[in-house]
Amino acid sequence: MSSILWQYPSRLVGSVRDRATLRARRWARKRQGTDAATTELRPRRVYILPTGVGLVFGLMAFAMLLGSMNYNNNLSFILTFILIGIGFVSMHQCQRNLVGLELAFAGTDPVFAGQAIRFRVAITNQSKSARYGIRIYHDKTESDVHDLQPGESKIFILPVSTDRRGWVQLERFGIRTLFPFELFRSWAWLHMDLRGLVYPDPAENPPAAPPSRVAQGHRQHDARGEEDFAGLRKYHAGDSPRHVAWKAYARSGQLLSKQFAGADTSSQWFDFDEIEAAGTETRLSVLTRWIVNADQTREDYGLRIPGFEFPPAHGDEQRRQCLEALALFDEKAS
Amino acid sequence: MRVQPRGTDGSLLTSLPWTMGALAVSLAPHVPYLPFWISGAFIGCAVWRYVIERRRRMLPSRWVRGGLALVCFLGVFGTYSSISGVGPGSALLAIMAALKLLETRRRRDQFVLLFISIFLVMSSLLREQYLWSLPYVIGSTLIILTAWLRMSAGASETAKQSFTTSGRLLLYAAPLAIAMWVLFPRLSSPFWAVPIDTSRATSGLSDTMSPGDISSLSMSDEVAFRVQFDGEVPESRDLYWRGLIMTRFNGRTWTGSEPRVGTPVEDQISFRGEPVSYELTLEPTRQQWIFALDMPEEWSIKRVFMGPQQQLVHVTPIEQRVAYRVTSYTDYVVQSRLPSIYRKWYTSVPADGNRRSAELARQMRENAGSDTAYIDAVLAKFHKEEYFYTLQPPPLGSSPVDRFLFDTKRGFCEHYASAFAFMMRSAGIPSRIVLGYQGGEINPIGGHLIVRQSDAHAWTEVWLERYGWYRVDPTAAVAPERIEYGTRGAALDGVGELWGFTAPPQFLRDLTMTWDALNAKWNEWVLGYGPETQSKFLEWLGMVDPNWRKMLLTLVGSVVALILMISAFMMLRYRPPAKDRASILYNKFIKKTGLTRRIGEAEQEFALRVTTGSHIPNDKVASVTVAYLDARYGVEETNAVRRLETAVAAISSR
Repeated sequence: MSSILWQYPSRLVGSVRDRATLRARRWARKRQGTDAATTELRPRRVYILPTGVGLVFGLMAFAMLLGSMNYNNNLSFILTFILIGIGFVSMHQCQRNLVGLELAFAGTDPVFAGQAIRFRVAITNQSKSARYGIRIYHDKTESDVHDLQPGESKIFILPVSTDRRGWVQLERFGIRTLFPFELFRSWAWLHMDLRGLVYPDPAENPPAAPPSRVAQGHRQHDARGEEDFAGLRKYHAGDSPRHVAWKAYARSGQLLSKQFAGADTSSQWFDFDEIEAAGTETRLSVLTRWIVNADQTREDYGLRIPGFEFPPAHGDEQRRQCLEALALFDEKAS
Repeated sequence: MRVQPRGTDGSLLTSLPWTMGALAVSLAPHVPYLPFWISGAFIGCAVWRYVIERRRRMLPSRWVRGGLALVCFLGVFGTYSSISGVGPGSALLAIMAALKLLETRRRRDQFVLLFISIFLVMSSLLREQYLWSLPYVIGSTLIILTAWLRMSAGASETAKQSFTTSGRLLLYAAPLAIAMWVLFPRLSSPFWAVPIDTSRATSGLSDTMSPGDISSLSMSDEVAFRVQFDGEVPESRDLYWRGLIMTRFNGRTWTGSEPRVGTPVEDQISFRGEPVSYELTLEPTRQQWIFALDMPEEWSIKRVFMGPQQQLVHVTPIEQRVAYRVTSYTDYVVQSRLPSIYRKWYTSVPADGNRRSAELARQMRENAGSDTAYIDAVLAKFHKEEYFYTLQPPPLGSSPVDRFLFDTKRGFCEHYASAFAFMMRSAGIPSRIVLGYQGGEINPIGGHLIVRQSDAHAWTEVWLERYGWYRVDPTAAVAPERIEYGTRGAALDGVGELWGFTAPPQFLRDLTMTWDALNAKWNEWVLGYGPETQSKFLEWLGMVDPNWRKMLLTLVGSVVALILMISAFMMLRYRPPAKDRASILYNKFIKKTGLTRRIGEAEQEFALRVTTGSHIPNDKVASVTVAYLDARYGVEETNAVRRLETAVAAISSR
């Protein structure tokens, strides 16, 4: 009974607060615009409000002021004013704890739909003073709290749940701190181009994969084969920048890619159109499962989906390209 | 209701000791005033709680805590029979802190404990304010703030860092606090009167006197009051600080009549000679007596009236240190006519007991012939015969005057005053006993007079035709040095020999005098910073005609200014260092390419995009990239920066 009576006002307060937050967010979005990949927090965009503890602290200071006035007690005046001063100072300290931090999106690793995607944000403290108790958040999820020593840079991880394949974009995330005394909460909203890729959910019980056939050695550039340097060839768009011969480039101005030799492997073709299952998503799901399995056994596999064809290969690059194609299949490029 | 889980996981081990320390520091000044069991309960709960956290045990159940709370509350109520006032209030806070410790499970529960410790510090200030109270306030605040930081500190933050941070924040807050303290308008009268502390015994004079019951006089060095004279300090023999009057004697004990307030008695006094003006700062006595140099004419303290025996009485007990100005005359005549009804009152002694003394008085009066001659004769008896002044007299039993006059012949002021007044009354001369202070010590550093509890004194007044009430101090006849040098001078003969020296070393005396002068200034300027002092100080600072509106405006203005200054200072402290030359040059290069660098894009990747997607020749891109990478991560930095500079300059922007 009592809980029902209590729920209504708390819900009312909650909805009012939510609406206020929403408006404030929209206002901040319009005011701040889109942030660059690396953003330094300027004082103008660090907001601050007292916390519940802060309000209680304020009330206490007021009561102490009344008491001091009543007893005309100069020492308790001193105590009261020290506490009020601490309140003012901690307000500024709380804001300064964020101002000047440099935030940069440090990428994500693709996940399968249903898993939480972990956005990495690198936060750098370039000042000579340590920053304490910092965390980033998005809606209800938040990162761990970290301190940043002078000059230190740390990766904050913000997990966001996913439910479907494709790009997941974080329109906004926040950074906040309660330091020093939790009397104030200061925060900033960031609107960076934070996006991560979500692969389709691998099917639980896929039909059997198509049979494989043995293939002779072919062009290969997976991580495993890198020891076998085979020579240089002219750079083609799509070659990994890691394989560009920079020394030669600096000498001659000619862009060259390093070539590596691979070994013979067996291979199989996964074809979107040959799966006997209804619905695009189910097919993508099945293909995802096949690729995951094939990758684990290090077999060569090729992927054929409407509009794309990846010749048989294996390794991280092949896996990435194939899963990416599945994730973005039929989705508008964004 | 959901039952909260009670397990502990040791996560409070870093913050709990600090919180307990903060509580202990804020509780410390209360300990002498609290019943022993409360301090014991607090220590017990703290140790218990710490052991629970240490061994990851369970917290006590709700029933145990509830039972403890009930017992403790009843205990407090039983001890004080009230729950208002500083005494029971601080006892309840201590109990609350102890019990809250037992249910503190998460870090944030400690907020309540820290709030309690702030209130404990505050209430200790209501109880007593000394010079060392300021360092105490600052120190305890520092510890409370550190505990506060420890509560939310991450694993990488050390206790030392927390301590430094709270010290730094306290330093920032200090100018704000000082500005607010100076400028916040002080009220001249409180909103409501609350008894501050009733649990404490009075430290001033007792309002009954039974010579012989107490067999030793305490030599308390506690200051009773301090006096700053406008002119010269009067001679020591004139320094009689009038307090309360005792008029009734039952054979053993002298008592005063209840102070009656409002009787106009000032017109019975005629003053002669030069007035003495001074300011007196009285320490709280929890009594109604107001002390002034015999005989006061005017006093600045409000709600003080002169009683029928020329004693000054405040309407309520003096709970806080109070300063007032008085004008006195050391030469005066009071009540030259005494109605016969009063005459009878002032000569009455109980018929039974002390018979030998009464008989002696009658004989001596007959032999003397006149009242004045008789007084001289009695004083001469004390002076010439084997009477001694001592602070450890033997007890006197049931007929104290007889026993004192004929057997023991040793005593201090009370014994002599009592015996003398008894002798006077027995011979038909009206007499009464005055309790107050005599003498005092001049502080050469502050220039003021310190009157201590050990200067408490009792003397007599006899009523004589034409002279009115006339002061006679029989102690002076026995131990004139008591009047000339004070109790110390009189008593040090014995004490000094015991310790092997006759007077405290000079430097020790200088030290105590400096300390006392500091205390006097502290009382005057800090503790006594009231409406008048504030106006005076602000006028001195340059405020014309200070009033509360001006003060508040100045307060707000200066606080805002100070906050801006602190903020600017923090900005300097927290500003990021200037970007290095290499980054600036590389950014210039990025601008010239007309492309934007992607998030997390390595320089090499960017260079690749530039070569394929812009007008800039490949070799130039390569030289910029290589030079930048060398400047950033290479060995020969300066050389690389120079190369970068020329490389970037070589690129023409579109």
